[in-house]
Amino acid sequence: VGTTPGQTEPRFPGFDVTEQAHTWDATTARVVLKRLVPPSPMKFFTAEEIPTARALVDRLLAQDGEPRVPVLEEVDRRLAVGDGDGYRYSDMPDDATAWKKSIAGLDDDARAASGEAAFADLGRNRQMQIIERVRLDKGLWHGMPAQRVFGLWMRYAARAFYAHPWAWNEIGFGGPAYPRGYKNLGIDRREPFEVAEVHAADPIPWVERVEAARIRHEDALCHEGEPEGSESKQQTSNGANGPQPGTEQDSNHEAAVEDQLR
Amino acid sequence: LTSVRKRNESAWLLPNDGTRTNHRLLADMARLDCDDEVDLVVVGCGAGGSVLTQRLARRGWRIVALDAGPFWEPDRDWVSDEAGAHDLYWNEPRVISGADPVALGNNNSGRGVGGSMVHFAGYAPRFHPSDFSTFSTDGVGADWPIRYEDLKGYYRQIEEELPVAGQSWPWGDPHRYPQSPHPIGGNGMAFVEGCRALGIEVRIGPVAIVNGRFGNRPHCIYRGFCLQGCKVNAKASPLITHIPDALAHGAEIRSDCMVARVEVDSQRRATGVTYFRDGAEYRQRARMVAVAAYSIETPRLLLNSACERFPDGLCNEFDQVGRYVMVQGAPQTAGRYDQEIRAYKAPPPEASTEAFYETDPGKDYRRGFSLQCVSPLPIAFAEHVAAQGHWGETMREYLRDFVHWATFGALCEFLPQADNRVTLATETDRHGLPVAHLNHSMCDNDRALVRAATQVMEEMHRAAGAAESITIERYAHLIGGCRMSGDAHSGVVDAQLRSFAIPNLYVVDGSVCPTQGSANPALTIMALAARAADYLAGSNRAWAA
Repeated sequence: VGTTPGQTEPRFPGFDVTEQAHTWDATTARVVLKRLVPPSPMKFFTAEEIPTARALVDRLLAQDGEPRVPVLEEVDRRLAVGDGDGYRYSDMPDDATAWKKSIAGLDDDARAASGEAAFADLGRNRQMQIIERVRLDKGLWHGMPAQRVFGLWMRYAARAFYAHPWAWNEIGFGGPAYPRGYKNLGIDRREPFEVAEVHAADPIPWVERVEAARIRHEDALCHEGEPEGSESKQQTSNGANGPQPGTEQDSNHEAAVEDQLR
Repeated sequence: LTSVRKRNESAWLLPNDGTRTNHRLLADMARLDCDDEVDLVVVGCGAGGSVLTQRLARRGWRIVALDAGPFWEPDRDWVSDEAGAHDLYWNEPRVISGADPVALGNNNSGRGVGGSMVHFAGYAPRFHPSDFSTFSTDGVGADWPIRYEDLKGYYRQIEEELPVAGQSWPWGDPHRYPQSPHPIGGNGMAFVEGCRALGIEVRIGPVAIVNGRFGNRPHCIYRGFCLQGCKVNAKASPLITHIPDALAHGAEIRSDCMVARVEVDSQRRATGVTYFRDGAEYRQRARMVAVAAYSIETPRLLLNSACERFPDGLCNEFDQVGRYVMVQGAPQTAGRYDQEIRAYKAPPPEASTEAFYETDPGKDYRRGFSLQCVSPLPIAFAEHVAAQGHWGETMREYLRDFVHWATFGALCEFLPQADNRVTLATETDRHGLPVAHLNHSMCDNDRALVRAATQVMEEMHRAAGAAESITIERYAHLIGGCRMSGDAHSGVVDAQLRSFAIPNLYVVDGSVCPTQGSANPALTIMALAARAADYLAGSNRAWAA
């Protein structure tokens, strides 16, 4: 059974793109399957920055439950080695500086709004509201053009998420196809290994489904924060602290990061 | 086929055992000495530099062609994976600005032998005859110092060498293609249906993807990862269409070499280039230099080569270097269909229409646009959804519908503007060389074209049965920056691509184009390079005589 992020209701039940890995060329298989290996300790973000950065990327991609695609770890890897996108807006600092400044900016905004709490300590809705304010801000935010900051976050986060086979399982993407190729081209045609949707309308018609997601998203954005119910609170605290549930692992992880920093 | 093979044996020099690189050819490659004054040093092994090298190596020229990136081996280096293809792009720092800054990197840059054609979609249309005189005909843009007829024969040659597959072409100068059209997938079917329903003429192709065997290049396997580098050797790039023949004729391809300066002596003649390899700086002497580093790096190199004799950069006495850089407005409109499209299961380039290419006197804008189908993979499609302002749960929900979306793309002819230009930034790269700064703003005509093209694409989706469509505004391709012209005051190179300022310095890449039409530029860049090679070979004979 294919893993999907947060184990959402499977749209393509049983579809596991990694079951095709034996048909992929070795170079591709190495690159893709490496994403399933537990990520190495973070090098770029500091122990203080990690909870904020993790809460940010979790909210951007609505990763509210386990298992999570290790998005922050991939963002960290890229920033640590300077693996950029080949351009910088003249009114923005380089990507690494912009990430650092924006993480600090989120904490500043959180403290300004709540008194003492850091961004990661806020409930999900409050976090989303702070993020949405950055997205809609046409001016400067902590010295940087707000919309470029939001664009930078999304660019790094979405690339890490949709590069992951769990995300491909979620969306029914057939994945790498060399040397096998695709045989059945055309509308409503599938390969033998591709899986049909549960119901073409899933089972709610698409427009209603997307509309419902929009409403939930917007609800969160106008709802004045807490409480959200115990279940989501539980998830929030996981989301803020680490890819694995449980505080023991979280502190191990942070200890490892601190080791790395020393 | 015999005549193609006589002109360019590349496809027959590739292995036919299921591997993709001729290691023998690489092992036997000429190694020319840095102090040896070679006939020609070429900077950049993309569409322009590779064709020039291949053509002149065949005529016995001793050539060193340098590229800042690696000599790619598809089996070893390329993957069927979006994020994993990141190394194919120029990811070194660059600065962008202007009212409409152009994102660089993955969509419009190349790095390594083969250049950006390694990851181009594969569309290989010709420019129209009207593209060469837009100023005289439409009062906008610029006239080229050459005409369509000057390139026509070279277009045909390159179409045979890539080779290009597609239906007979009714637009511009009507012509046929050497290979028949490929079958199309769900995305192409939606595109064709949208055109048919609205009465828009449409054709399958033209794509530089082998349909049938060509030399030792196998048939396309419809794997869908054209933009990540073709592991099959089916989609054309100079790495397989021109470099093998260049190697067989004695050219040296020196990869992983970042050229720092073109050197010029007191007689205003180029004497060679300096370059960095593994952190050390070297010099290659040459009788002639051809810069083929494309619209950003070619101007940057000329500006970075400033010296006592040329304090504002080489060939820049009239402040022309780096000006008139163009991109095409490339909005993409995705439509959501009830049926499964699964657009990833075929090459992204399938069908296109040039019905809106020419100026329509009834419109309030000049020039036009072409429409093609494109198929963004998950990461690229996430950008489409994010461009609507969606994030979090809404974005995930849209992406869960990935298999239901078909995507069309436009190429709008943006006009050349003097202030859309490359200059040097104050920051430097890891070699200490100032990086390029690209300033870009759109004009009213540009914006009107994007609006018009988007409207047609939305109507096509509706007509083909899509319930919703979403559009992302973006840009594609680069052209200009060192344009050719009739005189030194309005351009950098002449009709033969020779620089006005330095008689043995040439620019042989897309930066020489004064306008860009609504066509993907690769075929035109190769045709220009083949023409320049003929000219150089002829004048070389004249010198020898």
